[in-house]
This record gives sequence, C-alpha cells and structure tokens, in this order.
Amino acid sequence: MLTFEQIKELIDLVSERDLQGVEVERSGFRVKIEGRPAPTVDTSTDGKVPASIDGAPVSTTPAAPAGGTAPAVAETPAEASPEEAADLEGLHLLRSPIVGTFYISPSPDADPYIRVGDRVKRGQVLCIVEAMKLMNEIESDEDGVIEKVFPKNAQPVEYGEPLFAVRQE
Amino acid sequence: MFKKVLIANRGEIALRIVQACRELNIETVAVHSTADDDSLHVTYADEAICIGPPPSNQSYLNVSSIIAAAEVTGADAVHPGYGFLAENAAFAEVLGECNLAWIGPSPESIRMMGDKSKARRAAAEVGVPVLPGSQEPLADFSEAQSVAEKVGYPVILKASAGGGGRGMRIVQDRESLETQFSTASEEALKAFGDGSIYLERFLVEPRHIEFQIFGDQFGNVVHLGERECSIQRRHQKLVEEAPSTALTPALREEMGRAAVDLATAASYVNAGTVEFLLDHDGRFYFMEMNTRIQVEHPVTEIVTGLDLVKMQLEVAAGDRLTVPNGLTARGHAIECRINAEDPDRFTPSPGAITTFHPPGGPGIRVDTHAYEDYFIPPYYDSLLAKLIAFGQNRQEAIARMERALDFFVVEGVGTSIPLHQRILRDSRFRAGNLSTRFMERLLESEANRSQSAASSV
Repeated sequence: MLTFEQIKELIDLVSERDLQGVEVERSGFRVKIEGRPAPTVDTSTDGKVPASIDGAPVSTTPAAPAGGTAPAVAETPAEASPEEAADLEGLHLLRSPIVGTFYISPSPDADPYIRVGDRVKRGQVLCIVEAMKLMNEIESDEDGVIEKVFPKNAQPVEYGEPLFAVRQE
Repeated sequence: MFKKVLIANRGEIALRIVQACRELNIETVAVHSTADDDSLHVTYADEAICIGPPPSNQSYLNVSSIIAAAEVTGADAVHPGYGFLAENAAFAEVLGECNLAWIGPSPESIRMMGDKSKARRAAAEVGVPVLPGSQEPLADFSEAQSVAEKVGYPVILKASAGGGGRGMRIVQDRESLETQFSTASEEALKAFGDGSIYLERFLVEPRHIEFQIFGDQFGNVVHLGERECSIQRRHQKLVEEAPSTALTPALREEMGRAAVDLATAASYVNAGTVEFLLDHDGRFYFMEMNTRIQVEHPVTEIVTGLDLVKMQLEVAAGDRLTVPNGLTARGHAIECRINAEDPDRFTPSPGAITTFHPPGGPGIRVDTHAYEDYFIPPYYDSLLAKLIAFGQNRQEAIARMERALDFFVVEGVGTSIPLHQRILRDSRFRAGNLSTRFMERLLESEANRSQSAASSV
C-alpha cells in the first residue's frame, strides 16, 4: 500500500516526464496513474499479479530491523530494471501464472515457440513452464510483437515473474 | 542434516524457522504470496519464491505451487509451521512421494489424532481419561439416569441437533434430572425438529492444560511439561504460561505419563501437544492432540532451555532425542499473543505500522515478523507479535510482562496490548485463579463496571 506522499510523487513523476502512465503493485494493491492529457489516479485492490518493486524514486524498502544487518535482498535498484523500463514504455508484460522451470521450446531439440520480433496472437503458446514433470503451456493474452524474453531457457521462475514483453497492436 | 529447508508458512513462525535453520547452517527457502513480498521471513531466507496471489488457497495452501517451488530450488525438506498445511496428512504423503522430507509426524499419526473420535478411542485404550458421557443419543429418561450415575454429576444435557452453545442444559444433581431431561427434549424438538439428547460430564471451571511431547524415529517419546492456556476468547488463546499454578508434582507426573502413553500408542514422531481439561477437583480428561509445533511453544522453550524448532529439524533428520522425560521447569514464563485488532471490538486491524518499538531488557523475548513501515496484509490472521516474559517465579514474570507491555509501542494499527494489560492487572489472574471462563468473567465485570459508572453519573 502506498502512502499519499508516495502517490503524489508518482503523479509528479508522470507529469514532469510527460509519461503515458505508470502502474505500481505492492502487497496485493495496485495503483495506476495515466498521463496525457491529465493524470488520473485509479486505485483498486484486486489481488492481481504484482510487478517487482519498481524503480520509481519511491521509498519501498522496509526499515532495517533493530539489531540486524540490512536485508540481503536489494529492494529498490537505483535505475529501473529491464522489466520496469519496459512497463514505462507502454509494453505489456506477460507474467508466469505458476512456479516452475521456463522452457522456450517444446522439447530440447525442437525449435523455440517464438523469437524476439515475432508477431503473436492471443491464445498462442509462447513457452512452457514445467512443474513436477507437468509441461504447462503458457499462452499469450494479447496480440502483438514480442519485444523481449526475460528468463533464460531452463531458468526457474516464480508466480508473477515477467516472461515476455509484448508491444500491443 | 538437511541442506535446504522450504518453509511452507508465513509470518512469525516462518521467521522462527528461518532462525532455527540459520543456527544449524541449513539453507532456507521462503515461499510466499504476493501480499508477503516485503515480509521479514522472505527478506531473511536465503531464497524466496513467490507462489501465488494473496488468497491462502491459491498460495499457502496451494500444494502444487509449494512442491514446484521445492523442485526448482532443490529443497530436501519442508517445514509446515502451524496452521495452513501443518496437519494435512495428504500433503505430508505427497511430499514423501516427491522425495521431500516432512518436518513433522507421520501421515498416519496426523490422521489418527485429527479424527476426534479416533483420538478419544485411542486415549481410552491406553487408559488416558476421556470426558465421560453417552456416545449415542439417550433413548429415554431411564438411560439418561443410568448414564448420569456412571458419569457423575454435574452433567450437561446437549441436543444432538444443536450446536454453537444452543440446546444445552446443566443438571446439578440426580433430583433435577427428570424435569430437566423432559424440558430439554421438548425444547430441542421445538427448536431443531429433533428431540434427541445426549449427556456429558459437565466441568464447572476447567483449566486448559496441554503437555508438550516429543518423539524421535527410534520410538523414544518424552514430555517436556505443561502449558496453562485457559485464558481464551472464543477458543482463541490470549495468554499462556508455564508451569501451571494448578499442578502438583504428582498431578504433573500423572498427566505427563498419560500424554506420553497416548503419543507412544500413536507411534508419534516429532513435536506434538496433548490437550487436557483439568477440573477443579484435580481430575483431568483428554480433549485432543495437536500434531504440529504450536504458537505458544516459546514458553516451554524458556522454562526448559530447549529450542523446540531445532529439535524438530534434528529429529526429522534422524537424530536421537537426548532430552530426559519430564524435564523440570526452571522459573516461570508467560506469553501474550499481541494481535493487530481493534482493542474494543476485537475486529482485525490491518494496515501500515507507523511506529514499532518492541520491549527488551531482562527476561523479555519478542517473536515477531512485524517492523516499522510494515504493511499488515488483510488476508491472514491478526497475530502481530508474541511477547514472552520470564522470571524466577510467577510474580517476577508478571512484573516483567507488565513492564514490557507498557514499553511496547505500536502505532498505525490497533493492538490487543490494552486488553493484555487489563488481563495482567486482574486480581484473579494474579492469584492464579484461572479457568476457561476467565475471559468471559473479565469482560462481563468490565461491562458491569462501566454500566454502573454510567448510571451513577
């Protein structure tokens, strides 16, 4: 959940940099701010898939607990990670709906399902996420062009992890 | 010993398990929902895998997600904590099939004790006292009479079709039984359409006394003493302590032996708790067995000097128990379950914690996953922190707990700290006069006092 100050910072960010919009999700809350022409704020709680903690200049790290060293996991990178940069440019992120291992091809010797630059349609199989020997085919939820593939082949992915960036058409 | 343990839980217990694993040089995997991205156990675990959206059934209860997470991280064991899948025998079995070790008792033990009537039968078979009563509805008054004689007065008549406290009548002596029985049957028939009544021994002011037991894979079973958990509101424990002021050494030995006998009969391995009701006359009755580590395990840890979660990991890894049976408690420990809730309405109070300063100092232990700026998600239970005070005796433990409650600063959300302060100040609590009716009495006397104060204005 973002504080009023944090939401205000996001609104300033959108208007100062003349962005199309920014979307932030944390702990089951989602805030979407649309720019051009005028920023509007729409807050909704629908428990949807969150983005990783975004690169916007907003303090999201937990305070270091008393007596402990700083948490090992970096929470707010100085510059936006590839996923957030993609978000800010209006690309659609396709995220993994399950935990498992990412495979870009149906089998080791087969051709990959898609490559960067391919045009895909909604419902088209883009990859496999394998869990417990079950091959789950992951379908595209939009029409568009594959701009980026995030995981490497055979890399473990978690729920909500970005798999592809799609430029919608 | 395990190389990597996946913690299938959240909140303070998940952090507790991370701590135990860290001390044993075991790597940890935290699985979490998206609502727990910023959770402390996620921060401190060696690896974290998001397994689903906030709702528990899609995340912490999602068996395939959890197993997939174990697979991709190469975990070799799973610790289920308490709640969620901790007493899910099917989950334990699936883990076994996937070659993942389960930090807990066997699926058979879980099933046996999970079924209340099976558990009671098992208890009766090894001579553990069970609350006497008619198992089936009573045919008529004469059967009621003979059962009541056997069971002993006072008895409680319960409508078979009733529930939730409805359709119950307390009968103090044999003279009142006939009228009470016919009235009860008529009322039941009118209220529930079914006039059948059964009967149970009524415990006037029972205390909830539970025994911590531990079994290893070599058949050794020990008990580690009792916890007094009578202070409950709607069956939710608020304050626990060890040892109990009601137990003489002889009674402790008797109840401890009963707990060990039952656990042995169940071939019980790992941590478990046997719950009894203790009547004011010193008679005790088996209620149920919990086949998991419990929320209030710290009070036992403090008075015995043991680390129960580390013992869980060690026993699951095949170590032999080295702790003697019936370890005598040293000193006295009290635990307050601090909940994030409205102090007057007892409704949950999720939201952002703006200030968080837990107490410290001599004899104080705080088990919590909360911190300043932490946002308490609304999807799970409201347990915020466990505050445990230890003293050389009960008096000192109470003094330390009161001091610690006063020094515990939590702002941004409501907490049960004011309620705990009132419990600790109560004269009956301080005298050790506890029973499962304590909270009811306390809230009643507070309501009466405020009413009379209002009317005298």
